[in-house]
Amino acid sequence: MTVLILTSEEDVTADMVVLRLHESGVPVVRLDPADLTSGVALSGEFVQGVSRGHLSVGDRLVSMNGLRSVWVRRPGVAASRAAQPSAWLTEESSQALYGMLRGTDARWMNDPDAARRARHKPWQLRLAQLSGLPVPATLITTFPQAAREFAERFPDLVVKPVSGAHPQEPPRAVPTSRVAPDADFAAVAFGPTLLQRRVAKRADIRLTVVGERLLAARKAVAADAHPDDVDVRFTPSTSPWLPVDVPPRVTVAVQAYMTSAELAYGAFDFAEDSDGIWWFLECNQSGQFGFVEMDTGQPIAGTIAEWLTHGTGRTRTPGGSRRSDP
Amino acid sequence: MQPFTLDYARPAVQLEVSTPYMYDSGLQLNILPDGRIAATDHATLRALGTTTSTAGSKTHFDD
Repeated sequence: MTVLILTSEEDVTADMVVLRLHESGVPVVRLDPADLTSGVALSGEFVQGVSRGHLSVGDRLVSMNGLRSVWVRRPGVAASRAAQPSAWLTEESSQALYGMLRGTDARWMNDPDAARRARHKPWQLRLAQLSGLPVPATLITTFPQAAREFAERFPDLVVKPVSGAHPQEPPRAVPTSRVAPDADFAAVAFGPTLLQRRVAKRADIRLTVVGERLLAARKAVAADAHPDDVDVRFTPSTSPWLPVDVPPRVTVAVQAYMTSAELAYGAFDFAEDSDGIWWFLECNQSGQFGFVEMDTGQPIAGTIAEWLTHGTGRTRTPGGSRRSDP
Repeated sequence: MQPFTLDYARPAVQLEVSTPYMYDSGLQLNILPDGRIAATDHATLRALGTTTSTAGSKTHFDD
């Protein structure tokens, strides 16, 4: 039985998992859906009540029915590197590939439907609340007056993209940023705006969840850090990520979140305040983990490989209903 | 007419640094010029930031 990894060739983080699978002697097929019709091929038939299919990349051929798991890591847009790419070809290729894969009994990390839903930050915030995780006061609005009133209630705010996406024309990054005290909120009318109470944090927490396993890392905020340096991704720091225990209450809440979200993998970001409370910021269903493993030595890649090989959890039947593996 | 959030945008850092490794389709791994597996060379990976959480990815917004 083979592990299928959908990701780009340059994804060295995926390499860390491929290495572990190689060490375990587990068959792996790695391909990028972007290469469909130009290096990657597929075929499937549904005849007389039986379905079977194959995928090939280079000289590797794998049966759809021989897949034990599918890791959707960082796949490119289907057929985007075809000889004559088009939106139509992408849709055709995406439906053919993912449709056939959904018809197998393979476990998914993560199930595409669950992954798509889990990307929505407002949904994440609500699920975090329902799961018992502390969530900083947040407003998402296109009403300038609502933003003004929120700023009166919570004078120290940050702003961040609702989607987490960044504009590309021209390429820009939108870090989580502290809102100026005298901000003019009129432009809130021109796009949904996510405002959130700033957590005066003493550390950032990255909690990586793989199946049932929780691996948490903590990066202390420097004592002389400027309060405007909100986004750890953009803040120069010499502090390493260090392993940290997960408070029992957080463990229970995160497990509830993962169960409700139907995710096998999730990378949670928290801000730890001066009382030691972990405030939920977001859960990236495909968040990076290589930098945490390199700093902490936590066996995240090995744990992912183990899950892809032997993991138990939910899977999707061809009929679309969910069941749990025995 | 610019949305409020974009008042806080900054030019994306364009990583023009070419990666020193090449994908080996036989191994299904990226390999350094000296034949070592790139994923085992943490110094190189740290220098390139290729495994880090960095906002601004063109194709993926889950960092």
